[in-house]
Amino acid sequence: MGKARRPVQIVILIFIVILGVYAIGSAVSGGGSGKPKMGDKPPAIKLLGMDGKVHTLEEYKGKAVVVNFWATWCTYCVNEMPALQAQWKKWSDQGVVVLGINTGEDEMTVRNFTQQLGIDFPVLYDTNNEAVQDYGVVPMPTTFFVDKKGKIASIHEGELNLATLDDQIKRLVNP
Amino acid sequence: MIKNTKCECGHQNRVGTVLCEACGKPLDEHADSKELLEMRYDGVARRSQRANPNFIDKIWNFFSSVKVAIYLIIFTLIGAIFGTIFEQESNFVSFDPSTFYKDKYGTIGDIYYKLGLSHTYESWWFVLLLVMIGASLVICSLDRVLPLYKALSKQKIRKHMQFLTRQKVVYQGPVEGNGEEWVQQAVKPLKKKGYRVHTDGSALLAEKQRFSRWGPYVIHIGLIVFLLAVLFRGLPGLHLDKHYWFPEGEITKIPDTNLYLKNDKFTVEYYTEEEMSDDFRGTGKIVPKLFETKAILYECTADCGDPSKEPKLKEVQQHAIRVNDPLNYKGFKAYQFDFDLTPKLRSVQPVLVNVETGEQYGKFKLDMTNPQQNFTLGPYTLELKNKFMDFALNDQGQPISKSKDPNAPAFLFLVKGPDLPEKGSQYIYFPKQIDKERFQQDAINEKLGGLQNKLQLDVIGMEDVDFIESSSYLNIRIDRAMPYVWTGLGIVMLGLVMGFYWQHRRIWLRIDDGVLTVGGHTSKNWFGLRREVASFLKMMNVEVDEKQLDNGGNRS
Repeated sequence: MGKARRPVQIVILIFIVILGVYAIGSAVSGGGSGKPKMGDKPPAIKLLGMDGKVHTLEEYKGKAVVVNFWATWCTYCVNEMPALQAQWKKWSDQGVVVLGINTGEDEMTVRNFTQQLGIDFPVLYDTNNEAVQDYGVVPMPTTFFVDKKGKIASIHEGELNLATLDDQIKRLVNP
Repeated sequence: MIKNTKCECGHQNRVGTVLCEACGKPLDEHADSKELLEMRYDGVARRSQRANPNFIDKIWNFFSSVKVAIYLIIFTLIGAIFGTIFEQESNFVSFDPSTFYKDKYGTIGDIYYKLGLSHTYESWWFVLLLVMIGASLVICSLDRVLPLYKALSKQKIRKHMQFLTRQKVVYQGPVEGNGEEWVQQAVKPLKKKGYRVHTDGSALLAEKQRFSRWGPYVIHIGLIVFLLAVLFRGLPGLHLDKHYWFPEGEITKIPDTNLYLKNDKFTVEYYTEEEMSDDFRGTGKIVPKLFETKAILYECTADCGDPSKEPKLKEVQQHAIRVNDPLNYKGFKAYQFDFDLTPKLRSVQPVLVNVETGEQYGKFKLDMTNPQQNFTLGPYTLELKNKFMDFALNDQGQPISKSKDPNAPAFLFLVKGPDLPEKGSQYIYFPKQIDKERFQQDAINEKLGGLQNKLQLDVIGMEDVDFIESSSYLNIRIDRAMPYVWTGLGIVMLGLVMGFYWQHRRIWLRIDDGVLTVGGHTSKNWFGLRREVASFLKMMNVEVDEKQLDNGGNRS
């Protein structure tokens, strides 16, 4: 019997196992709609901020991030803005970042709005609704709570009030 | 247990050998048996057949079994049936599967969804079955093709008598003259029939179209290429199937690519009443005859991923996209899917009018998105302070926008100039006449400072209004794995043709003491082989009826 056969057999079997694990793995994980779920890594973003600089989630590595998708025409988003601003003031020195992602409005609209409400947490423009699609945002507002390890701790659809927001952030800071 | 696998001709055979690799004598059988020989793989042992299989050998043997392969295929087919009961999640643009199946099909639908059958073809067990079929293809082929190749490339010409007499096509009878001379004479007629002839004294082997034996293995290679292509289709960048809106006249970025598409012009034509049949006219439906998007595709060449910079675009293709006539650029395809004919305001170009004198100042462009913010018109300066795309008043009476679509746009200006207060005067402007009346522009301006009696913004003609007349909904597809899928299927076809249209035929003959023994074997078409052998024998002056050559039995 050929001496080279055993290694060849093993190589082929390993190859099949690797392919199989890859195929099943990608089928199971990629089988869904691609919407991020609790425990997932939040999809990467690269958006222009109101400060004129390009921002990514990488900048906030090691921090807890509250990613809020909003628009000026969405009443509930407008309602929860003061709560977000208050919590940003309260928690920003404890490694919490509130990140407002405006969905598809122009600079002037956003700037007027934030000035009017006195908002000073970072706001990014999602001009082409790319982040909206990557995050699978359907109702507005939708808020993603990302913990310090960079995993989505919870997802909140709809208006947040001061108390629930405080509660959620507390859990991010002290899990 | 060690089996003696040594043949009487002195050849040491492998475990599992059916016919001696050298002389073709059947092994492990009663010598007096008249049964037809098992000629599969020329009687050689498959690679996996071992005396003492270990763990790896057992896995190998499992996958090398054709029986297992058939079961795998049957299970896969049954599994695939489940995926055809209700529509699959992947076939739809957008719906919530967790409620869809229950609402549409009731409890059965809910069970169907909960069992995961709404995505049968992406489920772990289905993919596992496919992977196992793939493994079986590779291992089955390797296990058989290598020994078969070896056996066929070093065939012994003089075979054992039993090997000849137990073929399916057999002739035995006396011949005149010297055996070796007879064999030499037999070479020519066989060559004429397309055989390659090898002689060894009074024995002869004639063979043709051996390549057809590789047909099944070529098919397997094709199937493996096909399976791999389907498997790697899921890799990022190789596959995309999304739907996006493209407003007319706008350059729209296509997410997850570096391509931009401009819907230059969208047209839709409907069937006229005359073109419809009488029956159809009765239904009152309006059916589009043609919808077409004149599209220009751009590729981003620089500053692509940087949202703070304008991307540099290069035009790469133009195409009029119609149904079944997509734009196709290096595997990137855009299909016409739907359209929306609701016009949307893009920009207006009003003039500033002095109400008292009727004097007009300038014409300036007011875009709905990202408008310019400062305008100088004659002696006046206008500063755009705020804008509302879908104007409304909230509960507190403050102006808000109900959506981002310019359904009822309103612009708030701060106007400065002669006869106006030092810090300016506020003025709200509704470009649409209907909104002016509905929201009472003059009444609002009266409250803001009464500027409407001195100055007005007005659009003079329709040519100063720019609409996005329609939007086209395109299906964006990338399927870079398809060429490999087609290659795989092409190889399968090649294998099928090799195996179907040609047959591997072999004729052995030997002369012992004036007795000619002929044995014939073919991979299929025994009728053809019998006829060929009979005609060959006739040329050698041996009269024999075709049917007499049949040795009976059903073994192929």
